[in-house]
Amino acid sequence: MPEGLYYTREHEWVKLEGNLARVGVTDYAQDKLGDVVYVELSEVGKQVKQLAESKAKEMELGAVESIKAVSTVHSPLSGTVKETNATLQERPELINTSPYNEGWICLIEPSALEAELNNLMDAKAYAEYLKGLE
Amino acid sequence: MKQLKHLPLEKNHRSLGGEMNPFGGWEMPIKYKTSIVGEHMAVRDTVGLFDLSHMGEVSVKGESAFDYLQRVTTNDVSKLAIGTGQYSTICNMRGGVIDDLIVYRVGEKEYMIVDNASNADKDFNWLVQQAPPDVEVEHITMTTLLFSLQGPNARKVLQKLTYFDLSRLRRYGSNAFMEVAGTRALVSRTGYTGEDGFELLITDEPPSNPVRGERIWNALMHAGESVGLGVCGLGARDTTRIEAGLCLYGNELTEDISPLEASIAFVVKLDKGEFIGRKAMLKKKEKGLSKVRIGMQMIDRGIPHKNDKILKNGKEIGYVSSGVFSPLLKIGIAHVYVPPEISPGDEVKAKIRGRACSAEIVNFPFYDPERYGVKRRGAA
Repeated sequence: MPEGLYYTREHEWVKLEGNLARVGVTDYAQDKLGDVVYVELSEVGKQVKQLAESKAKEMELGAVESIKAVSTVHSPLSGTVKETNATLQERPELINTSPYNEGWICLIEPSALEAELNNLMDAKAYAEYLKGLE
Repeated sequence: MKQLKHLPLEKNHRSLGGEMNPFGGWEMPIKYKTSIVGEHMAVRDTVGLFDLSHMGEVSVKGESAFDYLQRVTTNDVSKLAIGTGQYSTICNMRGGVIDDLIVYRVGEKEYMIVDNASNADKDFNWLVQQAPPDVEVEHITMTTLLFSLQGPNARKVLQKLTYFDLSRLRRYGSNAFMEVAGTRALVSRTGYTGEDGFELLITDEPPSNPVRGERIWNALMHAGESVGLGVCGLGARDTTRIEAGLCLYGNELTEDISPLEASIAFVVKLDKGEFIGRKAMLKKKEKGLSKVRIGMQMIDRGIPHKNDKILKNGKEIGYVSSGVFSPLLKIGIAHVYVPPEISPGDEVKAKIRGRACSAEIVNFPFYDPERYGVKRRGAA
């Protein structure tokens, strides 16, 4: 998987772009989901919290739905949702075909980046984590 | 926890890349290497092949087999000549559905019932309980394989493997014993996708050594190659049957829902004579039904799911029994139970994950029957 990204145990990726963070789901996630047919995006301006032990509504960035299942996307960082990928409304399959590029889900303005990055995995750690899942 | 049952051809499905998951007590392929959408479109555009050996089969033989089946099933068994079959239900005394099934007449006093995997034991126990002493009711599920070949090219593919003229089998339910790939099978013109197709039953097959079944399965796979046959799992089985407007037991049918509410009144022949559930259904007919099954197609984006509420003018009027993203129409579709006054063309709202989304009530099937399904233009 791409270097320079951060990853969560829930299979979201984070790419730091200046003072913003772009978020999506990983190749592992899209493969497990199967054909993505619908993406539910949160409102621009929503205040989100980094996913913690007990899941809460304020940690939700939206949902990705495939023919098989609905999967909630949780926020890898606390902050404000600045932009969502509206193209996913018309073309949800981009999550399958281009999970790290055209299938990005939203842009967040992080509020506690330094501290919270410690809770995320780098590419190497995520690869190890995936091995443990199989 | 009860042990999962395994398909006799499980190793074939695994080597085809089948993603296995539990269903109805069996380890079943949900999809193969491609995608549920791809498998669904194979059925609609060319031909799909399903291994449905998990389904239940019961053999019914005896002097009073006809009277017995006439009494325990809701459809009219007197319409069954040898070599025909009919979709039907067995109901409880309240008129609720115990299972939906197909009754085939395979001999003078010999019938075969094919029912749902999830109800196979329940049905068998009920059928045995209701049977008179001179009727032999036999559970043949574990030694029977069932393959389903569905799609506009189904006949073309199967005809390559048999000398029997398949055009002699009429829809729905005509059946005959024949040699397929040199192997004896009972072939019926039935299916669960809305398309034309055939179902093949191979009986007396030892599950640990399904030589005959494997021969037929491999022959079908090979014969279908030139037309792009797609091997299909339960995911595509569900999406195709939802599009076609067909019921799934556990969703559209339960012991608290009668065939009348489920809009399959054609399997209930109230005038044929006495049968279990008849009195209750006559009463329902008299009183009028409070909810009936009909189709719903989304206007807003969003995919309806089982138990999602249906609203009209802010009031809850019904619920979703099955919902899915239609691979063909590329929009959410559902079977819903709503009051009978709600008609095709009416706009309702479906409460999906907390949001009220607009939808339209429609008749089944969801696809254009001129272009898809058994009655499509140009169908043989």
